[in-house]
Amino acid sequence: MKTIEAIEAETKSVAKDLRLVLHQVKYEQMAFWVNKTGAIFTLGFSVLFLVLLGATNGSQTISSLHNITNNQFYVPGFAAYGVMSACFTMLAINLVTRRETGLLKRLRLSPLPAWALLAAIYISTAIVAVSQVAVILIIGRIGYGVQFPSNWLALALVLIVGIACFTAMGVAISSVIPNQETAGPVTSIAFFLLLFLSGLWFPIAPTSGLATFSKFFPVYHLLQAMAAPFQLQPGVSAWAWGDLGIIGIWGVGCGLIALRRFRWSPRRG
Amino acid sequence: MPALSVNSLFKSYGGVHAVSDVSFEVARGDVFALLGPNGAGKTTTIEILEGFHKRDGGDVRVLGVDPGERHNQRWLRTRIGVVLQEMAVESFFSVRQVLERNAGFYPSPRRVGEVIELVGLCDKTDVKVKKLSGGQQRRLDIGLGIIGNPKLLFLDEPTTGLDPAARRMTWDLIRTLSDQGTTVMLSSHYMDEVEALAQHVVVLAKGQIAASGTPWSLGGREFGKVVISFTLPEGVAIADLPVQTSRCAGGKVEVDTDCEIEVLARLTNWSMESHHSISGLSVMRQTLEDVYLKLTHDAEQRAEPVVA
Repeated sequence: MKTIEAIEAETKSVAKDLRLVLHQVKYEQMAFWVNKTGAIFTLGFSVLFLVLLGATNGSQTISSLHNITNNQFYVPGFAAYGVMSACFTMLAINLVTRRETGLLKRLRLSPLPAWALLAAIYISTAIVAVSQVAVILIIGRIGYGVQFPSNWLALALVLIVGIACFTAMGVAISSVIPNQETAGPVTSIAFFLLLFLSGLWFPIAPTSGLATFSKFFPVYHLLQAMAAPFQLQPGVSAWAWGDLGIIGIWGVGCGLIALRRFRWSPRRG
Repeated sequence: MPALSVNSLFKSYGGVHAVSDVSFEVARGDVFALLGPNGAGKTTTIEILEGFHKRDGGDVRVLGVDPGERHNQRWLRTRIGVVLQEMAVESFFSVRQVLERNAGFYPSPRRVGEVIELVGLCDKTDVKVKKLSGGQQRRLDIGLGIIGNPKLLFLDEPTTGLDPAARRMTWDLIRTLSDQGTTVMLSSHYMDEVEALAQHVVVLAKGQIAASGTPWSLGGREFGKVVISFTLPEGVAIADLPVQTSRCAGGKVEVDTDCEIEVLARLTNWSMESHHSISGLSVMRQTLEDVYLKLTHDAEQRAEPVVA
């Protein structure tokens, strides 16, 4: 019979655990890219919107935003969209589907520790989000001549905070969605409504009633924070601390909900 | 040390006892079956043993350690294999990919090729899971249960929903694993399955043990009533027979008895002496299903849902 010390010695090996996480990340990535619908919905949509909107009215200028072009407005916007769709919509649907089909429960009963699974899901989601942002920036630069951000460090911070917050939101909302059938509609409607109100498709005046409402939610702030490192308007800092702070608060709040409410097993009929 | 020991296990959900005072032991290398109707507490019991649910009371040892203790769980999970009632395999991976993925979780897994051969999916190695039939998916599911080379394998209703051929293949697989020394804990509501595979069986009803023993002795089955039946010879009336009949329909006579030797002796002697040939003679001991239905029915009668 094994002693507790022996059991602990066997389970506590950091290098082994990291290998386990990377092993799972590999399969999370495979699952994402093999499942073409998911890949198209996240990667494809942000690119499609950017290309369509850019082709429609991309070179017009926006007088309320110091005459930046629409394209300059859309590029950070759809970079933010990419982060949110990967971390929030995609992740929530993915988790609900895996939970309700028993896949999460099955993994829970394998030797893969819960934290390692969640870390792998998080890393994999972050890879998708960052690759989305990269694709949008490159298309913006090559297709529409939109300059890369002038402050890469600030962009990196926005990505770190944004990905952490929206991943937490994705996990939190997945824990309150009852079944697979409602996962898609619930997350998509919530997401698109907030995107609309937060001024992704058209700029909203910062002092309007709509802006006051939108400012309560993190979507508005991620759009603002993502635009800041491009420093399109004179005198605007690349570091949107206020926006990042609010995003962070949402992240912590949703993280707590996620920890409390997370379920491994399907709801029984 | 037994592979599994359960002592006075209790678990309730929302004030209702799901499992109540259940005790049993499973020796290493045995195939052990939990039998019972839906809602009898089979899955709850198994999931407590797997460490997925916490118990409310009693003592549980799986491979010598308590599955309810957090620090034991990872150690335990590298040594047990689990096949859940709900089939759960990622549909967009190939057979080889899912097995390779899960193999990576274990310190000393079986070879992927060996598992594919064991579960009989050699010609489906690179086929996507969603293209497999239900039976093939279930076998892959069992393959995932054994990829870690477990000492103890939990199978929760492994053949529910399978066609007869797929069930037989699954039985063969379970026998093979058992022969290789794996302890198997099985739940089922198929009597023939339990009879074909298990050395020991516990019948659960309403969360309690209704009976336990070997499949062939359950509920006093080796001594119980038998039914002797035969075709009534032509020109013979029921009253002419040397034995007390229980039923007669369409020329078929049935005798219920618990001293079958005596009844048979009287019948055969009478047949030889009176030159009435008896055709279609059969002696049927009550089936495990009869015993099971009676046991679970009795338990239902006894126990209305117990409120904690």
